[in-house]
Amino acid sequence: MAESTLVAREPSPFGVPSRKLGIWMFIVADAATFAAVLFACGYERVANPDWTRPFTFWPTIANGIVMTIVLLSSSLTIVAAVLAAQAGRKTAALRWLGATMLLGLLFATLHLREWIAMIGEGWRPFRNPLGGTPLVGATFFSVTGLHLLHVIVGVVVIGVMALGYRRGRFDHGHLETTGLYWHFVDLVWMFVFPLIYLLNVRQGAG
Amino acid sequence: MKRYVLVWLGLLAIVALEVILTIAHLRTGILLAGLLALAGIEAALGLMYFMHLRYERRSFALSLILAVLITVVLMDQFWFDAFRLLRQRLSAP
Repeated sequence: MAESTLVAREPSPFGVPSRKLGIWMFIVADAATFAAVLFACGYERVANPDWTRPFTFWPTIANGIVMTIVLLSSSLTIVAAVLAAQAGRKTAALRWLGATMLLGLLFATLHLREWIAMIGEGWRPFRNPLGGTPLVGATFFSVTGLHLLHVIVGVVVIGVMALGYRRGRFDHGHLETTGLYWHFVDLVWMFVFPLIYLLNVRQGAG
Repeated sequence: MKRYVLVWLGLLAIVALEVILTIAHLRTGILLAGLLALAGIEAALGLMYFMHLRYERRSFALSLILAVLITVVLMDQFWFDAFRLLRQRLSAP
């Protein structure tokens, strides 16, 4: 019997389709990457007594709250897209995918606007305008930059999947796999927002 | 869909709680513990409902979660060095 035939008959591990298993393996690896970056941030903060807290509630945390609501809402819209695709409602699925992409783009725009404002104040990955360790800027830009990269890649992937789904090249299983990636991006933000933003609010700042 | 909307509302409520804890200006250690606990609940809700891990085989969910947890626990060895460096340096300006 040919080897390819044997491979094709082998049951899927945990009863999970290979496509879904693949994205879960990626998510586990990527979770370890983000964990390592966040741990490095914590290490640098603990080891540097001259760590400065750069953020005030207005505008940074207020902007962060809006970004969080936008990203959480995009998780809901992609769930709606997958449910619509599973029910065979193609037009509705495409509309929800479009809404998810718009929310992702809004998140990226708000994030970039915040970056530009901080750069305008003198923040760089190697410079701290408040006079403390430059590692504050280094960790902020590296952690949020890595997450922003994931958001932008996610928006592009959702766009490609939506086009393929409309043309009949992809099915609801592909959308579900894409949804898992998007939810993971949202899940990472649930740690980035408190650890990078909320823990770095200046004491006594309004 | 109703279940997902409820989870979404729950996640928004947790974010609001995180912001309230921050505004309360708690000690950094207490704030960190609170924020990590709330982020953990958010992550669990996201994993179980939005990512449907609740509906997969338990062995699959445990394999994934344990892999990440073991990695995170192994990373904890670095804290001792961070505190050593903290003790060697001057205090904050």
